[in-house]
Amino acid sequence: MKILVVIKQVPERDAPVRIDPSGKAIDDSDLQYAMNEPDAYALEEALQLKEKSAAANDEVIVLSAGPERVGTTLRDALAKGADRGIHILSDGLGSLDALGVATLLAAAIKQESPDLILTGLQSEDLGLGQTGVIVAELLGLPHATLILHVEKIKTGPNGTTIEAKRELEEGWFQTIELPTPAVLTIQSGGTKLRYATLMGIKRARIKEVKQISAADLAPTSTPVVLLQHIGLPKKQKSTQMLTGTPKEAAAVLVEKLRTEAHVL
Amino acid sequence: MLPFHATFAEPQHFSVAEKLLFAALALTSAWAFWRRFRIVLHKILHAKKDPGFHLFPIGKRIRDFVWEVLFQAKVIRERPLAGFAHAFVFWAFCVFALVTLNHCAAAFGIPFLNPAAPIGRFYFYCAAVFAAACAIGIVGLFVRRFLLRPRWLGEKLSWESGLIALLIFILMATYLASFVATTGPSIRSLWWLHTLALLVFLSIIPHTKHLHLLLSPFTVFLSRGSFSQIPPLSGDEDFGLVAGADLTQLVSLQAYSCVECGRCTEHCPAANTGKLLNPKEIVLGLRAYLNDLGPASDQPLLGKYNAQQAVFQCTTCGACEFQCPVGIEHLPILIGLRRGAVNTGAWENDHGAKLFLALERGSNSLGISPAERDKFIERQRLPLFDGTQEYCLWLGCMGGYDPKGREIVADFARIMNYLGTSYGVLRKEKCTGDPVRRLGNDLLFQQFAESNLQSLAQNKVKKIITICPHCVRTIQEDWKEYGTPPEVEHHSEFLARFADKLPRTVGRDFSPGIERVVSTGALAPEVRSSSAPSPTVQEKIVFHDPCYLGRYRNVYEEPRTIAALSGKLVEAPRHHDRSFCCGAGGGLAFLGEESGDRVSHVRAAELVATGAHTIATACPFCNSMFRDALASTSEPAPQLLDIAQLAARGLQGE
Repeated sequence: MKILVVIKQVPERDAPVRIDPSGKAIDDSDLQYAMNEPDAYALEEALQLKEKSAAANDEVIVLSAGPERVGTTLRDALAKGADRGIHILSDGLGSLDALGVATLLAAAIKQESPDLILTGLQSEDLGLGQTGVIVAELLGLPHATLILHVEKIKTGPNGTTIEAKRELEEGWFQTIELPTPAVLTIQSGGTKLRYATLMGIKRARIKEVKQISAADLAPTSTPVVLLQHIGLPKKQKSTQMLTGTPKEAAAVLVEKLRTEAHVL
Repeated sequence: MLPFHATFAEPQHFSVAEKLLFAALALTSAWAFWRRFRIVLHKILHAKKDPGFHLFPIGKRIRDFVWEVLFQAKVIRERPLAGFAHAFVFWAFCVFALVTLNHCAAAFGIPFLNPAAPIGRFYFYCAAVFAAACAIGIVGLFVRRFLLRPRWLGEKLSWESGLIALLIFILMATYLASFVATTGPSIRSLWWLHTLALLVFLSIIPHTKHLHLLLSPFTVFLSRGSFSQIPPLSGDEDFGLVAGADLTQLVSLQAYSCVECGRCTEHCPAANTGKLLNPKEIVLGLRAYLNDLGPASDQPLLGKYNAQQAVFQCTTCGACEFQCPVGIEHLPILIGLRRGAVNTGAWENDHGAKLFLALERGSNSLGISPAERDKFIERQRLPLFDGTQEYCLWLGCMGGYDPKGREIVADFARIMNYLGTSYGVLRKEKCTGDPVRRLGNDLLFQQFAESNLQSLAQNKVKKIITICPHCVRTIQEDWKEYGTPPEVEHHSEFLARFADKLPRTVGRDFSPGIERVVSTGALAPEVRSSSAPSPTVQEKIVFHDPCYLGRYRNVYEEPRTIAALSGKLVEAPRHHDRSFCCGAGGGLAFLGEESGDRVSHVRAAELVATGAHTIATACPFCNSMFRDALASTSEPAPQLLDIAQLAARGLQGE
């Protein structure tokens, strides 16, 4: 089975985030970067599938897009056990929207024709939760989100199907059957992550990381979602207790949402 | 009593047949000896060379050799009675070297010691004194091992030890009997009996733990050079002690030197609390591996011969290595085995992985946001280090993020302010890497050591003070592998230098403090006196020696100097270099529940039993472990304070 994991390099979780004076970007001068944690879980799922599988020629490929520094995160993925990496070199990802990024990723994935594509549910910095879904759509593949594990892999006359366990709310789970190839977006916390080892890092040095320029993959698209402004939320605390019957309170609430909070 | 005119009697003449017989027996014995010894020597010499081993400076090696081997200092100090008995056996052997040579030379008609001449006579008498002491000693040791049966010698009776004891006794007895033998046949029989015992003894040495007779002087001399000296990894394929091929010459020599005395196990916190780990068995496991598979094997060291679980129960307290009389260095072995498991990913442990992942992504071992440390610095108004101050106050993970650790830092800062010390704290700190170093994760340790060394150089840090002995050790010793660390000292060393400037509150009436404790009906009933109105009670303080300050750094008196400013010092039964670990070291504070009794509870109970009103610590980890242990008992507990907190109490008014 050929499993491709899409990972994103994001600022470290505890990084002090400062907004660029333009108000349109995060100031990245002092930032340390790390692998997006949901993507780390996706990678872990892929590695576990490879380890559990009986087949000898399973491959786990990691794919990421971004500037030169993304190479470190790809090497970390290789150190944890991925077989090879693909790096879409681009310095201008910040100006793209989710569709733009997904277009680049989909173009690179198409060249590989993997059986299964895993990626994290959302990123820790923007948290859009869209990239994986859009990639599936662009590739014309079925997808499932909020996945904890691939529970079963069934090979039949019509090809391979998988059963994935999906996390819902309130402790409920759902099992979804999909044909392959398919895209799954992985939820954090479903398994125990492995730690990077010295042996892994040393072996990673000889593993291949292929670099592709973004321009070679797809022409730059115009964003359909425009980022207007990044700002810190204004600290403001005001509590109003609404009394009366549920029906009365609801009516008052709607009125306030319309006239005071201006969200309706 | 020997008659004054008695001399050592030996046969004057040996027949040709006797000479041939003796030669044949001697050669047979030598062949039997060499046959086995050759194999052991081969295994040791063909093991991997030790990276980073330096014979020079040789002064310390010679001093240790003289003190530990010739004077038998460690043998005697740790177990005085049995130790002296053994020392006399050893000294007798040394003295007997010439006697034995003379004994064999006599067979060929060329004895060189004349029992009638003054020098010869004097020598034989001296040897007789030692022989008597040795004979008494060996009988005593035999009784101890076979009749008294101390736990640390193991469950199984060692028949080879019994045989050796018998042979030694025969050697000494035949020698002494030769002073009173008068008839020709009896003299000759004694000579032959002595010879047989000697030749049998020689041939079985390499088959038993008595190999230490030959090896341990070398083992002591060829130590790694300092306590808990962790060797560097050599090359891209070295991940620690994974398989036989990773066992080095020193490790092999040490494995073959073990005398199975069990002193290491006797003081091991894990072995004492019902855990699988037994330091003696770790060493013997390696010896068994070498015997069965040799040093070139690729079979894993952990599995059949030693359990991975046991290796990860070690707190790296060092009690084992510290007192091994034959110079075995347990810590590099245990940490080497851990490296082999962690650097290859073979160690699967939820808490361990959590610690490693926290440090892969973040800056501290507790997994807390660095913003919290910034807030602490701001709240405490600690000065920031800007390169101009004399000292950099290193908070460490505990000092920066743990509530109790922060209290210690705050009090120490108050004292430094009072003393007018020039200091500052770094804006950003990363973990020194101590827990991952002791757990064997060289990937993370290298990252943290290099990053910290770079940051300290950039910030122009020359001198560091810290409240945590683990930070001190890691900065001073372990970082050396990756650069030159700045000077670092523990806050007890700093405070001790200024002890005369600190307020003395000793002698002050501690009764108000007592009331708080006694009112619940427990502590110190003797202070309640119905006659005197309010008797002055002096606070009794028991100081717990942290492993990383005591055994690792040889700092015992400085913290006591500070504690003595506040109250009357009492000692726990196990104190100074015998101090019993709190259980947090070796990264174990970060791992999950332990099996068996809890090390921290055992030690806390020992400290409470001294009747002290206050337990004084000098390590935030010890403090944390005892806080937990004391809280879990229903007894009213003594106060638990760091020495900085004790000293700061006197600054109340400042």
